[in-house]
Amino acid sequence: MRILLVEDDATLRAQLRTALVEAAYVVDEADNGRDAHFLGDTEPFDAVVLDLGLPQLDGLSVLRRWRDAGRTLPVLILTARDAWNEKVAGIDAGADDYLTKPFHMEELLARVRALIRRASGQASPVLRCGAVTLDTRSGRVTVDGQPVTLTSHEYKVLDYLMHRPGTVVSRTELTEHIYAQDHDRDSNTIEVFVGRLRKKLPGELIETVRGLGYRLVAPPCG
Amino acid sequence: MRLIAPNSLRLRLLAATVVTLALALAGAQVWLAGLFRDEVLRQLDTALVRQVDQLSARLDLDTAGQPRIDPAGLSDPRWDQPYSGLYWQIDRLGADGSRLPGVLRARSLWDTQLVLPADTLADGALHWHEAAGPQGQVLRVVERALVLPEQPHTRWRLMVAADLGETQGATKRFSGVLAASLAGLGLLLALAALAQVAVGLAPLKALQRALETLRDGRSSRLEGRFPAELQPLVQDFNGVLERHDAVLARARTQAGNLAHALKTPLAVLGNAAAAAPPGPLAQAVTEQVQAANRQVHWHLARARAAAALGQPGQRTRVAPVAAGLLRVMGRVHAGRGLVVEAKDLAPDLAFAGEEQDLQEMLGNLLDNACRNARFSVTVQARRRDRHLLIDIDDDGPGIAPAQREAVLQRGVRLDESTPGSGLGLAIVVELAQLYGGTLALDANPAGGLRASLRLPAVPDPSS
Repeated sequence: MRILLVEDDATLRAQLRTALVEAAYVVDEADNGRDAHFLGDTEPFDAVVLDLGLPQLDGLSVLRRWRDAGRTLPVLILTARDAWNEKVAGIDAGADDYLTKPFHMEELLARVRALIRRASGQASPVLRCGAVTLDTRSGRVTVDGQPVTLTSHEYKVLDYLMHRPGTVVSRTELTEHIYAQDHDRDSNTIEVFVGRLRKKLPGELIETVRGLGYRLVAPPCG
Repeated sequence: MRLIAPNSLRLRLLAATVVTLALALAGAQVWLAGLFRDEVLRQLDTALVRQVDQLSARLDLDTAGQPRIDPAGLSDPRWDQPYSGLYWQIDRLGADGSRLPGVLRARSLWDTQLVLPADTLADGALHWHEAAGPQGQVLRVVERALVLPEQPHTRWRLMVAADLGETQGATKRFSGVLAASLAGLGLLLALAALAQVAVGLAPLKALQRALETLRDGRSSRLEGRFPAELQPLVQDFNGVLERHDAVLARARTQAGNLAHALKTPLAVLGNAAAAAPPGPLAQAVTEQVQAANRQVHWHLARARAAAALGQPGQRTRVAPVAAGLLRVMGRVHAGRGLVVEAKDLAPDLAFAGEEQDLQEMLGNLLDNACRNARFSVTVQARRRDRHLLIDIDDDGPGIAPAQREAVLQRGVRLDESTPGSGLGLAIVVELAQLYGGTLALDANPAGGLRASLRLPAVPDPSS
C-alpha cells in the first residue's frame, strides 16, 4: 500500500514516515501544497495523510482540487486545527477522516488502515481468503491458523491483492503500489514476489490472468 | 398608544408644550376678558354722560327759584321704575358751603338718596365714582356741577348712576364663554402636540425596534433608514459592531495559529518520547507533553469562546450546525458503523450565540457520544420559552450517577484507554455557563447517556 505523506514540519514528517514504513507502507512525501497536489494528481496512492497548514498551497485547497478533478483517493487530514468548524470544513472539502495534533501514532496508523480498508470495501481489519488470513493491524499472515513468514515486499503484494479479492491487478498497478515514486522500479521483480508467495501459500490462491495480471481466486474472501 | 414613560423624551416634549400652551391661553383669557370689561364700562360711561348731558339741558328754575326738571325730556322708563338700576339726583351746593342733597331725584330712587364724597370739581367737568346704591347695588356714577345764570351763587350737582351689576354680569358671561373656548382650543392644541411628538419621535421608536431585533439576534446590524440626526449614530454603532467582529475573527485566527505553532512541536516531542527506549526521561517528556497539550487545548478553547461574549445580534441556526457535525461524525467514526442522526430538528430553531461556540459544544458532546455508543447516537432539540434544549443520546454503557459530576470536571477521564484530552465535557460546561446555560448528564430512556444542553434561544419573531 502506498501512502502520500504531506507535512511541512520536517521532524514530524520523519517520525510519520518511520512509523508508516514500519507498518509496511510505501511512503511518498511532500512538504508543500503544490508538490502534494501534483503527486496526488499523478500517482496512484492508497491513502493520503494531509496537513492543512502548508506553504504555497494550503491543504484544504489541495484536497478540493483533487476532489474537483474527480480523484477519490482516501484522505486523512492531520492538523493542529481542532475547532469543530475547521473539522466540518475539512470533511466538507472531501476528507475521509480528521485527526488533530497531537496524536498517538497507533491512532494514526489505525485510522490509515481503516481508511484503506473502507476504500476497498473491507469491513474487518482481518482479511480472509480461503485458508489465508492477513491481520492488517499486526501484519501477521496465517494459513490454516499457522503463521507464515513473509518478506516486506511479499507482504505488500499480498496485502494489496487481499484488499481486492476477485479483481484482476496488473503488474504495473502492483508496482505502483509497492514502490515509492523515486524507487528504481522493475516490474519483473513482481513475478519473483508472486512466485515466492505461491510457494508459501496454497498454490491455487493467486491466479495469473494471461496478459492482464494477477487475481486472488479462492472464495469466500473478505 | 402606550402610556408615557417617566423620564422620556416624549414626556419632556409634551410637558414643555402643555405648560407653554396653558400659560399662553391663561394670558389670553386675562387679556381678552380685561379688554371686554373695559369696553363694556366705556359704553356704560358714554351712556351715563349722554344722560347727564340731557339732565343738564333739562334743568331750570321755576318762578319760586326752585330747580325743576321737565319730565317729558326724560323718556327712559327705568327713571320711573323703583330701584331699576338707573338713577339721577340733583344736590344743591350753597355759596356758603352748605349742601342740600337730593333736592331733585328720579322716581327710581324711591326713598333713598345717592351719597357721594364731597369732591365736586370745577363747573362743567365730569367726575366718576363708584358708590353704594339702594338694595346693595354697586353703582357707576357720573356727576357734574353747574351754575344756572338765574342764581349765580348756587351750584347744582347733577349725578346719574347705573347699576354695575349688569355690566359685571355681561363680563362674567363673556369670561365664561371665553374660558370654555380657550379650553377647547387648548385641548385641540395639546392633541396636535401629542401627534407632533409621536411623528417627531417615530424614528427613535424605529431605532428602539432595530435595537431589539439586534439584541434578540434577529439581525446582526442596526437596519433601516433613519433621519439625518440619527444616521451618524446608527452608522457609528454599526461600525463598532463591525470592528468587534473583525477583532474577534483576528483573535480566533491568532488562537488557531498559536495552536498550530504549539501543537506540531508537541506532537513531535510526544512521538519522539513514545518511540524512545523506555526510561525516566521518555516518561517525563510524555507526561509533560500531555500536560502541555491539555493546557493549550483548554486555554485555546476558552480564548475562542470568551472573545465572542457580549456581542449583540448573535443568531445561529441549530439545524445546519448539527448537520455539519453529523457529517464529521459520520466520517471520523465511520469504522464503528454507528447510526448518527438528528431527530425533530426544526429548521428555524436558533441559538442566541456564536456559531463556533455552538459547534464546539455540540461537537464535543456528539464526539463523546460517538466514542461510547454501541449502535446509535441521536441529537434532538426544541425550544421552551426563551431556552433552547438540546439532548444528545447514545446507547453506550452510560455513566453511573455518582460519577456524572466528576466527568464534568477538567481533565477527568473515565476511560484512559481511549484517546482524548478529558477536556471536552469541561469545555462544554464552561461555554454553556458563559451563555448562562447548563449541561446536565443523565440516563436516557433507551439506556446509555443523555447529555442535555440548555442554552439561550433566539426568540420567535412572531411571539
